[in-house]
Amino acid sequence: MGTFIFRRLSQTLFVVLAAALASFVLLRYVGDPVNNMVGQAASLAERDAMRRALGLDDSILLQFVRFLRDIVNGDLGVSYRFGVPVSRLLMERLPATLELSVCAMLVATLVGVPLGVWTALHRRGVLSHVLLAISLIGVALPTFLIGIVLILIFSVWLGWLPSFGRGATVAIGHGWTTGLLTTSGLKALVLPSLTLGLFQMTLIMRLVRAEMLEVLRTDYIRFARARGLPRTTVNFDHALRNTLVPVITIVGLQFGNIFAFSIIVETVFQWPGLGLLVIQSIQFADVPLLASYLVLIAFGFALINLTVDLLYAVIDPRVRAGLIVSRARL
Amino acid sequence: MSTDAGLSDRASNPPWWDSDLAYDFLHSPVAMAAASVALVLLIVALGADMIAPYDSNNPASANVIDARLPPGAIGFAGEHYILGTDPQGRDMLSAIIYGLRTSLIVGFSSVLLAAFVGITLGLLSGYCGGLIDSVIMRIADVQLSFPAILIALLVDGVTRTVMGRGAHDALAVPVLVIAISASYWVQYARTVRGLVLVERDKEYVLAARVTGVAPVRIINSHIRPNVMGPVLVIATINLALAILTEATLSFLGVGVPPTKPSLGSLVRIGNEFLFSGDWWISIFPGAMLVILSLSVNLLGDWLRDALNPKLSDG
Repeated sequence: MGTFIFRRLSQTLFVVLAAALASFVLLRYVGDPVNNMVGQAASLAERDAMRRALGLDDSILLQFVRFLRDIVNGDLGVSYRFGVPVSRLLMERLPATLELSVCAMLVATLVGVPLGVWTALHRRGVLSHVLLAISLIGVALPTFLIGIVLILIFSVWLGWLPSFGRGATVAIGHGWTTGLLTTSGLKALVLPSLTLGLFQMTLIMRLVRAEMLEVLRTDYIRFARARGLPRTTVNFDHALRNTLVPVITIVGLQFGNIFAFSIIVETVFQWPGLGLLVIQSIQFADVPLLASYLVLIAFGFALINLTVDLLYAVIDPRVRAGLIVSRARL
Repeated sequence: MSTDAGLSDRASNPPWWDSDLAYDFLHSPVAMAAASVALVLLIVALGADMIAPYDSNNPASANVIDARLPPGAIGFAGEHYILGTDPQGRDMLSAIIYGLRTSLIVGFSSVLLAAFVGITLGLLSGYCGGLIDSVIMRIADVQLSFPAILIALLVDGVTRTVMGRGAHDALAVPVLVIAISASYWVQYARTVRGLVLVERDKEYVLAARVTGVAPVRIINSHIRPNVMGPVLVIATINLALAILTEATLSFLGVGVPPTKPSLGSLVRIGNEFLFSGDWWISIFPGAMLVILSLSVNLLGDWLRDALNPKLSDG
């Protein structure tokens, strides 16, 4: 267990450092920071003074250490495009993305698990085959197209739901805004979270189905049935419970994927989150913003993966005992 | 002169039309349908210059007066627009055909590049072991913990920022290919490494080593041909993924430049006119994308099952 945690931690640290290095190189060598700050009329002497004041004539290593210190202190520079500190921009946008991602994951899990159980219990049923066929097509459907079709049906033709933005938001606590407390906010959330959750839903459904089928074949289920236990007890208490370990792992791992795909969904629905911000920062060559996003995303993913691995070790005794070093990957 | 390349194994292998794979193919309606669709799309894309009614790359083919006409409309000068026109008055059908070509070019190139890099690193990693193996596999592990689309987006975005707008537009397609292959090489490397570990200690490799065949030659001529089956499966499924990735990036506005039709950029253009009721500008290229990726996906699924008898009853 100790070596396992140590290995995972060192890998995490390595990833974050590599991302920080990439972002440092991006900031330091794309464009001249001094040129970006002084006026056109600045003389060479003034530029040199500026360079010294900013510490740009120090050794690269010293500059990198200083850069890391700034990141830790939350100082990520100033956005070229918006002219405000990047950290403030990111904090403004983070709630929107997190809210969208969590809702999408909820949709995916709350619909995906029951569908998976149902298709496993009725595996010869017509509806099960239809659901599986649809989930296969779902793999070939790109996320942005699902979003566009949903907008076309529910916003353009039926006019039921808004197609862009977050609706009205309410501020709670330290600059955290939520759209969950207003009707327009909730309505605006429906289509994006459905779009984002659909693919994960099919994935969870098929995973639960496969795991259920496997468990239903085992001896203890057969014996439970032979003992005359009620069908629901066998299906849910005995079978479903044992399929949930891999499902938890997948939900955890897919959270990272949801985060990545939120970039696409946010662009389709003009959702004011981090994803839309990073696409715009790429289009406008907003280097400080892009560089900070790199660090943030590396940190976020490292955190998610670490949590899932540790959680897995807690749940699965084989990992705890050191029998399995890393989780099986899909 | 290379006369040692298998005098005996050529003779014992049945011709391709009599192989197990061909038999399996001819008895799978899904595989045959998917293959026919994919083949037709490939031919249409290759013959775009002859098949498309209008040349989408030629600005003269755009008539602003015919902008955003619905499917089946007759243009100002009597043109027949079967699938309607886009906001610049270009024929949608032609734009989709040229877009299909762009998507397939990017898809095939990235699969080839990713496979080349992945196979090479996988062979090295599996055959050499030791430090090389750990370094390559750690990098692969780290990369696998990030979604492929995110890596493609960030590689493309960072390159775009570094190069600046003007230089990037000219090199958009190669950059896109590199970005997509950078996100998909890991699968090849891991699979090939696993297979090499099995093959490495077999007698034919030992025999080659004992007779003093150079390691490069052992890897390339003896081991590589034996690990190519699974690679083909990964490559087919990845082709569909690469096409979808290209379409997604182009839809986000960070893929191919808007001047070059690709299925993703066409959907992007149409998205802006969705609320005017002009659904055909997005939906037709989108439908083409789904047909393309679905047929390639089904083909990949079939190939995986056909090459792996253990899976066929699942």
